[in-house]
Amino acid sequence: MATDEKPVVIRFTHVTKEYKLYKNDKARFKSLFSNKKNYKIKRAVDDLSFELRKGEGMALIGRNGAGKSTILKMITGVSYPTEGEIFVEGTISALLELSSGFDPEADGYENIKLKCSLMGMSDDEIKAVLPDIVEFADIGEYIEQPLRSYSSGMRARLGFAISVNCNPDILIVDEALSVGDRAFRKKCTAKVKEIMADSNVTLLFVTHALATAKDFCQKGIVLEKGKKLYEGNIDDAIEFYDSRN
Amino acid sequence: MIESIKLIFQEHKDFRKQIFMLAKSDLIKIYRGAALGWAWAVIKPLMTLFVFWFGFTVGLRHGKAVNGYPYFLWLVGGFLPWFYMRDMIQGGAECIRKYRYLVTKIKFPISIIPTFTSLSHMVVHLFLLAVGIAGFWIMGFAPDIYYLQIPFYMLLMFLFYEIWGLFAGMMAAISKDFLNLVKATVQALFWLSGVIYNVDTIENPVVRTALKFNPITVIAGGYRKSFIYKEWFWEDKIELACYAATFIVFLFLALWAFKKLRKEIPDVL
Repeated sequence: MATDEKPVVIRFTHVTKEYKLYKNDKARFKSLFSNKKNYKIKRAVDDLSFELRKGEGMALIGRNGAGKSTILKMITGVSYPTEGEIFVEGTISALLELSSGFDPEADGYENIKLKCSLMGMSDDEIKAVLPDIVEFADIGEYIEQPLRSYSSGMRARLGFAISVNCNPDILIVDEALSVGDRAFRKKCTAKVKEIMADSNVTLLFVTHALATAKDFCQKGIVLEKGKKLYEGNIDDAIEFYDSRN
Repeated sequence: MIESIKLIFQEHKDFRKQIFMLAKSDLIKIYRGAALGWAWAVIKPLMTLFVFWFGFTVGLRHGKAVNGYPYFLWLVGGFLPWFYMRDMIQGGAECIRKYRYLVTKIKFPISIIPTFTSLSHMVVHLFLLAVGIAGFWIMGFAPDIYYLQIPFYMLLMFLFYEIWGLFAGMMAAISKDFLNLVKATVQALFWLSGVIYNVDTIENPVVRTALKFNPITVIAGGYRKSFIYKEWFWEDKIELACYAATFIVFLFLALWAFKKLRKEIPDVL
């Protein structure tokens, strides 16, 4: 097993994430000034541990509300765990909610530059990948229009184009391959395959399309209500998941 | 506390490049799409100044020359910083909500948002300041040595509203009530500051001193000291002490909010 010797790039150690659910905004505001517990706790991720090594592909499988999106948010650093530790190494490109995360008033070019720069790319690097992104997105003259005039399909295309063309170490794909028309979907799948051919890129895949997961991933984790039910190779994980539903 | 300060500085260091980029794009967005573009940066403030000048000079017949300067120029002296402060009182409170896509979609340090918002308004301020100084010159009042203290007051202003933006932006992200409170207070803060009258001429000493705890009074007064009264900033030490007191209070509030809310805001917005 060659992959076992590769370094760990993502490690969750007993990670728990709780959301505080307040009755309304007023209750939330009040809680700033008192220690009284006026909220309910919703545990989205419950004592989760796993490791992912460089070059591996792992699928997170589970129904809605299993905590998949929360896990991805914590890996990308948007959200913080309530307890436990998360270790992540390398630049992450996340294909989460592709159509959002843009500045609606800025045009396509500006949004590309902004997003790349926020991922920590230098001006030269951005200049180098800009034509690839524009070509991949393939949205024609709209690239010079403000984002608010885009259709949801165009936004997703641009989002996808940026995420896959910025040479990430870790690629996170969240239902993203289901956007756009069939031709674009095919293009996306091909691109992800191409990226994965490079054995140094780590993939985390969240999907309901289990067949696609088999194409990209060797490992699978089955989640339910924030708890890990099963961890193993992808075929077994899918079988386990199917047997429960 | 110390750790929060360290973290804020570290975040600014790591994102120094992006700060200027985001400030630039924030600035462009304000004026893009309008045919007159940048001209609005001058037209809007001029309109406000005209209304106040007309109201006080023609309407109330009160606007007299001050220290040899026409009343209109006296207004300009205090309004120049006020335009920035007005934009930052509300803009600072709104900034994190406005840029929620930076907070909830990608890893981005929250403390950067007030900084580039403030920087973008600062550019408009510098532009207006240049126009203002040119205006004074055209009216026959050339720049003199007292203009050298304008950068000092500018720095005081920038620092205070940076801290205000951090505190208010986070509070408003958590609570819409806070945002509404701020919006409702802008007018009150304007009339309870020295932008439209000279605080030093108020007879009641308690009120006179109380108003100096309002940073708007100190900053607007400071600009007027440079433009009109020809006094140095160290001549009124009580005023500076009042400013420092308010500054420290807000510094603590900002650090408290930062510590308490930093990790919560991405989940709430």
